[in-house]
Amino acid sequence: MILHPAILALLLGSLLISLMMLYAGWYGARILNAWDLRSGSELQLELEKRTYLISTLVSYALAFELISLFLFIFTADRLHPLFTGAMCAAGTLNANGYGYPLLLLKMANFLLAGVWLMVNHVDNRGHDYPLIRIKYTMLLAIAPLSLYEIYYLYRYFSGLHADVITSCCGSLFSLERPGIAGDLASLPSTPMLIVFYTVIAATLFSGAYYYREGRGGYLFSALGCAAFVTGIASIVSFISLYIYELPTHHCPFDILQKEYGYIGYPLYASLFGAGVAALSVGVLTPFRTRGSMAQIIPAFTRRLTAIALILYLLFTLIASCEIVFSSFRMGA
Amino acid sequence: MNRCIERHRNILDFALSSLLRRKGKNLSLLSVYTLIVFIIASIVFFTQALKREAALVLDGAPDLVVQRMVAGRHDPIPIAYRERIAAIRGVSEVRPRFWGYYYEAVTGANFTLVASNDGQPSVKSVFIGSGVARNSSLTEGDFLPLRDVKGTPVLFTVGKVFPSASELVAADLIQMREDDFRTLFDFPTGRATDLTVSIRNKGEVKTIAAKIAQQFPDTRPILKSEMLRTYDSVFDWRGGMVIVILSVAVLSFIIFAWDKATGLSAEERKEIGILKSIGWETGDVLRMKSFEGVVISLTAYLAGVSLAYAHVFFFSASLFEHTLKGWSVLYPQFRLAPVVDPYLFCVLFFLTVGPYIVATIVPSWLAATVDPDAAMRS
Amino acid sequence: MARRDGGPRRRHEVLTVIELIEVSKFFNAGKANQFIAVDGLSCAIGRGEVTILKGPSGSGKTTLLTLIGCMARPTSGRILLHGIGKECLAGCAVGDTVEITSLPERFLTSIRRSAFGFIFQHFNLVRGITVLENVMLPAYPTGESLHEVRRRALDLLETFSISRHAGARIEQLSGGEMQRVAIARALINDPVMIIADEPTAHLDSKLSIEFMEIVAGLKTAGKSVLIASHDPIVYDAALADAVIEMRDGRLVGGGTRP
Repeated sequence: MILHPAILALLLGSLLISLMMLYAGWYGARILNAWDLRSGSELQLELEKRTYLISTLVSYALAFELISLFLFIFTADRLHPLFTGAMCAAGTLNANGYGYPLLLLKMANFLLAGVWLMVNHVDNRGHDYPLIRIKYTMLLAIAPLSLYEIYYLYRYFSGLHADVITSCCGSLFSLERPGIAGDLASLPSTPMLIVFYTVIAATLFSGAYYYREGRGGYLFSALGCAAFVTGIASIVSFISLYIYELPTHHCPFDILQKEYGYIGYPLYASLFGAGVAALSVGVLTPFRTRGSMAQIIPAFTRRLTAIALILYLLFTLIASCEIVFSSFRMGA
Repeated sequence: MNRCIERHRNILDFALSSLLRRKGKNLSLLSVYTLIVFIIASIVFFTQALKREAALVLDGAPDLVVQRMVAGRHDPIPIAYRERIAAIRGVSEVRPRFWGYYYEAVTGANFTLVASNDGQPSVKSVFIGSGVARNSSLTEGDFLPLRDVKGTPVLFTVGKVFPSASELVAADLIQMREDDFRTLFDFPTGRATDLTVSIRNKGEVKTIAAKIAQQFPDTRPILKSEMLRTYDSVFDWRGGMVIVILSVAVLSFIIFAWDKATGLSAEERKEIGILKSIGWETGDVLRMKSFEGVVISLTAYLAGVSLAYAHVFFFSASLFEHTLKGWSVLYPQFRLAPVVDPYLFCVLFFLTVGPYIVATIVPSWLAATVDPDAAMRS
Repeated sequence: MARRDGGPRRRHEVLTVIELIEVSKFFNAGKANQFIAVDGLSCAIGRGEVTILKGPSGSGKTTLLTLIGCMARPTSGRILLHGIGKECLAGCAVGDTVEITSLPERFLTSIRRSAFGFIFQHFNLVRGITVLENVMLPAYPTGESLHEVRRRALDLLETFSISRHAGARIEQLSGGEMQRVAIARALINDPVMIIADEPTAHLDSKLSIEFMEIVAGLKTAGKSVLIASHDPIVYDAALADAVIEMRDGRLVGGGTRP
C-alpha cells in the first residue's frame, strides 16, 4: 500500500514538514534559553538572525500542511475503489482506526501553524520583541505534533489493506450508526439550521461590536471558534443535503468533487480562514498591554476580526445560496 | 497592504534580474531539475493512463467469471454447471468462454487465442491483432500456421486484422471459430475455459458469487470489481516501486541543489553585503533568495511536467519502451488518452518541488544573514 | 572634539542629531582573538553640520561609522538619535528621540534606509546592473512604486550631471563617475544624514576637491554629513564644522586648528 505514488508523496511531505518544525522547535528552545534583547553580544545577534530562519520554516510548514491536507483527502478519495463498501473518501478514512484522527490532526496542525504565524507577525512589528518567550514556548508545544502526524500517517497507510470491507459515507454518516460521524449527521436538520444561523449572527454582531468599540475580544473569539465548529457540523448535518439534493447523503468530502462544482473549496477555505483569524484574535488579546504591543495588537486584531467576519459572511452566503437554489426541500 | 505588494514585486524584480545575471549556474541547476521532474512525471502520467485504459477495458468485462480449480490450478469448467448457475436468482445470463494461450516457438511470442463466432470467421480462418500481424509480418489473406497438440501444423488464413486503435486490448489476440479452437487444442468436450455470468442487480454480485462458491466448491468466482482493484493496485505498486528506486536520483539532485545554494560565490556574497548595507533587511534578502528558489522550482516543474505530458501522450512513453519491452515480445504500439488531473499535479509537486524548497531554506537564510558591515570593509 | 571657530562647545538637544554614550564594540568577545574596535566612546554629532572622523587605519573609524549608521549594534553603551525627522517606530512622533542600542535588525534597517545615505570607500555598486538600477536599489524594500523612484533617480543623476550614463553598466564608468553614482544612490531616499567612509581614497586631488564641493551643496540643502577620512583635503577643508579624532578605538581630545 505504501508504494502508491500519492502515498509516497504524502509521506515525503509529512517528513519535510516534521523536519522543518523540529528544526524550528530546536532553535526556538535555544532562543528561549539565551535570549536577552538588551545585550549586544554576538550570541544575541546570532539568535536574532535565527528568528528569521524559524519564521521561514514555519511559514513553509504551513503552506505544505495545507497542500498536504488536500492531497490527503484526494488520495483517500482516489483509493476508495480498493475497499469494498467505500464510495468516497469517508470510506477510505474509516478503513482503520487511524484515518479520522489523522484528518483531525492535520487540520489541527494547520490551524495551530496559522495562529503561530499571526503571533509571530505581531511580535516582529514590536521593537522590543515582547512576545518572544510565549511564541517559542508555543512552538515547542506545536512542533512535536508534526512528529505525531507522521506516525499516524505511517500507521494509517500501512494498515490499509485493499480488500478490507469498510463503511462508506452512506452508512458512516447515517443516522443509526454510533460514533461522531453518525452523531453529526443525526443532528436534526431544522434545529441545526436554526443553531447555525444563530451562532453566525451572534458572531457577526460581536465581531462588529469589537471592531467598532475595541472591547469584547474574548467573546468574539469564543463565538468565532463556536462558529467554526458549528460550520463543520452544519455541513455534515444539513448543508450537504441541499448540495447533493438527497436526504441521506451527508458526506463532507464529496462536495470537493467536480460533480458539485467544486463548491467545497470556497466553503472550506472561508471556514478555515475565518477559524484561524478568530482563534488568533483570542490568542493575541491577552497581550495587548505588553510594551509596544499596545500600539500594534489592537489594530491587528481589528483587521483579523474584519477578515473573519467577511469570511464567515462568505461562508454563510454560499451555504444559503445552495440551500435556496437547491431543488431539495426538507421535510416536504 | 499596497506597500506590501509593491515591496514584494520590487524584490521579485530584483530576484529575476539576479537569476539572469548568473545564467551558467542557474541553467545547469534548471536542466538537472527539469530532468528529474520529467522522469517522475512521466512515470506518474504513464501509470495513471494505463490505469484508465485498463478501467475502460474492464468496463466491458463480465460482472462475474467462474473458473474451476483443481489442485489449486485452473482447469476447464464443465459446461453443465451452466444451468444450475443460471437458476440462481438474480442471474440474467451464463455463457461459456473458450480461450487460451499459444506459444509460437519461432518468434518466441505468446498469443491469446479466443474462440468466438462474432464477426463470423469462416472455417480455418482467423482474425488477428495488429501486434500479431506485425510480429509475423502478416496481412489479410496470408497464411498463419499453428501447431496442434500433436505437433501437426494447421494452416489458418488471416481473415481480418484488428484495427490498431484496439492495440492495447487486442495486440496479441487471435480469434477463431469455436470448432477450430476445440480441434486445435483437443479441448475436452463438455468443458469450457470459464463461464461468464451477467447479473441484473449489481448490488447482488457478492451474494451470488458466494452462492456459486457454495454450490460448486471446486470453482472460483472472480468479480469485476476485484479485477479492477487488482489492476489498480498493481499499476500503483509498480509506479511506486519505480519512484522509490528513483529516490536515489532525487536525493542526489537535492544534494546537488544544496551544494549550489550554499556555495555562494564571492561575487554573490559581496552583492548581498551591498544590499544589506544600503538598506535591505535580512527579511528582504531572504525573500529575494526564496523567490529565486521558487522561480527555479516552478520553471523546472512546469517544463518537466509539460515535457513528460508530451512524452507520454504524444510519443507513447517511448523512453520506457526499452525497459518494458523485455517483458513481452509483442509490445503494443498505442496512443494513450491524455489525462489532466489536478490531483496528479499535487502529487508531483510534493515529490519534486517540495524537497528542493526545503533543501534551499537554510542556505538561503545563511546567505541572507551576511553581516552588512563586512561589505564596508571589503 | 573641537569646533572650527574655537568657541566654547555648546550643544542643545535640538542641534544634536546623534549622541553616543560610552559606546563599545568588541569582536570575538571572550575568545583568544578578542578585538576591541571602539572603547567607551562618547560624543555628539551636530545637525546640519559637516563632521569629520579623523584617524589612522585601525583606529575604529569604520566601526564607529557602522554603529552610528545603524549597521551594527554596540556591545555596550547607548546610541540616541534625536529628531531624525522620519516616522520609523510605532508610536514615535517625527521629532522624538530614538534609542537604537537594542533595536532589532528590522527596525535598525528601516531607520537606516530612510534616515541615512551611505557612500563607501570602494563605492560598492552592484555589477551587472545599470547605473539607474543601482541608484534605485535602496528604495526597493520601501514598497514605493518604482515609477516614482525612477523619476527621483533620474533627477538625481541629472543633478550630478551623469544622466547620460543612466543605462550604462558600472564597469564602464570612470572613478569620478562612479563616485557620483554612489552619492546619487545615497540620496535616493532623501536621508537626513550622509555618511561617507574614505570617499576620496580612490580619487585624485581634482576629483577630491569636486567631492568636497558636492558636500558643500549637501550641507546647504540642510543635510548632516559625517565623513571618515585621513585625507587632508577633507579634514583640513574650511567646510568642516567639527573634527573627531580617534586612535585605538578612543577619542583623542583637543587639537584645534590653528
